[in-house]
Amino acid sequence: MRRAGAGRRVPAGVLLGIVLVIGAIALIVSRVGVAPGTDVVMQAGDDGAAAAGRVATGPARAGEGFFQRLGGMWGATARVEQLERENRDLQQWRELAQRLAERNARYEELLRMPEDAFGEGADIENSIAAQLVLDSGGPFTRTLVANAGADHGVEVGYIAVNENGLIGRVVSVGRRSSRVLMLDDYNSRIPVMGEASRVRAVLAGQATRPPELITHPYQLQAPRMDFIVGAQSLREGERVITSGDGGLFPRGIPVGLAQRQNDGSWRVALAAAQRPIDFVRIIPYVGVIAPESEPVQTEGPPLAAGSAVAVIGRQTMAPPPTTPSTVAPPPVPRPRPQQPAPQQQPTPQPANATPPAAQQPAQRRPQQQQQEPAPPAEQPAQEPDE
Amino acid sequence: MSLFGLRAPSRRALRAWGFALAVASVILPALPLGPLFAQPPLPLAVLWAAYGWAAEDESGWRAPLALTVLGLIHDQLAGGPYGLFVLIYLSAYLIGRVAAVAMSAPNLVSLWGGFIVTALLTIGIVAGVERLLAPIAVTPYAEAALITAILFPLVRPLYMAGSAGQRQGARR
Repeated sequence: MRRAGAGRRVPAGVLLGIVLVIGAIALIVSRVGVAPGTDVVMQAGDDGAAAAGRVATGPARAGEGFFQRLGGMWGATARVEQLERENRDLQQWRELAQRLAERNARYEELLRMPEDAFGEGADIENSIAAQLVLDSGGPFTRTLVANAGADHGVEVGYIAVNENGLIGRVVSVGRRSSRVLMLDDYNSRIPVMGEASRVRAVLAGQATRPPELITHPYQLQAPRMDFIVGAQSLREGERVITSGDGGLFPRGIPVGLAQRQNDGSWRVALAAAQRPIDFVRIIPYVGVIAPESEPVQTEGPPLAAGSAVAVIGRQTMAPPPTTPSTVAPPPVPRPRPQQPAPQQQPTPQPANATPPAAQQPAQRRPQQQQQEPAPPAEQPAQEPDE
Repeated sequence: MSLFGLRAPSRRALRAWGFALAVASVILPALPLGPLFAQPPLPLAVLWAAYGWAAEDESGWRAPLALTVLGLIHDQLAGGPYGLFVLIYLSAYLIGRVAAVAMSAPNLVSLWGGFIVTALLTIGIVAGVERLLAPIAVTPYAEAALITAILFPLVRPLYMAGSAGQRQGARR
């Protein structure tokens, strides 16, 4: 009950509100002209608000991640299957990359071979890199199949070497493969010599040993050295190289190290057997050109009548220049890898047999000292370019 | 009063929910929750609280102090000049006090109309501050204030009683 004449009493809340409004206006006025970047109170408040915001939004962020994971579970099965599929593909790619890296390393080793490792006169520029893909698989022959054939320029008689030394010789060629007769084959006969002692010998492969359990593929056995001339000069551990006799191999290809056996015979620890043979370089080689089968018709005078040799001793001055009395034979081109070799079906050849002219680009070679084995009736059916 | 056996929440519980909503309207716009939680379109729930607490005759010191604290927090989080939201909220409180005293028989329409007038007056206050004191953007606040005014009938039970008899400050 209010007294008459008494003034209305202003509530405390309203008074406080009015005071605070005045204070707010004063606060606004006091902040006028203060740049936000220099407002220390605002910056401190922002720091506190940011910290509080991080704390406050922590559960929200965690919840957001939880809900994202929860939503991702709907497609988890399909996602797992997709990842497994990609994982399988990537594993295949990784295996392929490892194989290619290994092959690349081996090719690089082959490319870094010094020139003297190919012997004298080898056509290094036209050498062909190949991979040995098949073993002969039988106890009687020691041959390997390389994945380079006539399409790649390989011909019979080419030489197979790797970075360690001589491996063998190409004895048959298919379109995309070739067979290499290895040095330890029974039919292999290679003229060699000691590098220091110059002792000549024939490196003969042997088939007398029973087949061994070979852990590494293409492992070579130690062939025997026969027909040693001056064997007393041969030294234990001497380096054996090809002598070039017979014209089948260039001179100077490393073959191995001479080893004296208990029975007095000599064998060669083949240099190529230091490691499993996988990659080779197949080298074209044309050795000594054999004389023509028929005498060359010359137009000059007979040697006994007008030759300078006949009048030597009586003639004090050199004879006047005349036209050449002989016609030089045309140069024999080397077999080029680009020449397509005909599909050949080699037949067993006896020792020292001259190969057919159509199949042997090096037909003018002397008698071959290396006997070739009986090639298979059919061309190898291996996959090309493995 | 019960509906389907459910008891109506007490006035105290409704006031607590209203206060929580007011605090949320201050804090949520500062959190990185996306444009939906920006202001506008998020309403200024503290305006509801100021108007409702004034109509409920909060003659004590708690309502002005709470509005001042909320205003300062809002100023800090919004990066605006200190005192602006304090001024807005306290102005709404004082205008609400005047409206509550002036209304003889308030109903929903009059309460809503009173709140709309309050919101418009706060917009005018902001415009005055912008013209006289500090360079601030009036339009976003005006949008938020209008949204707040439109939504007022939905949240009115949280801030003021439904009948005049329950409001102590109403003139009887």
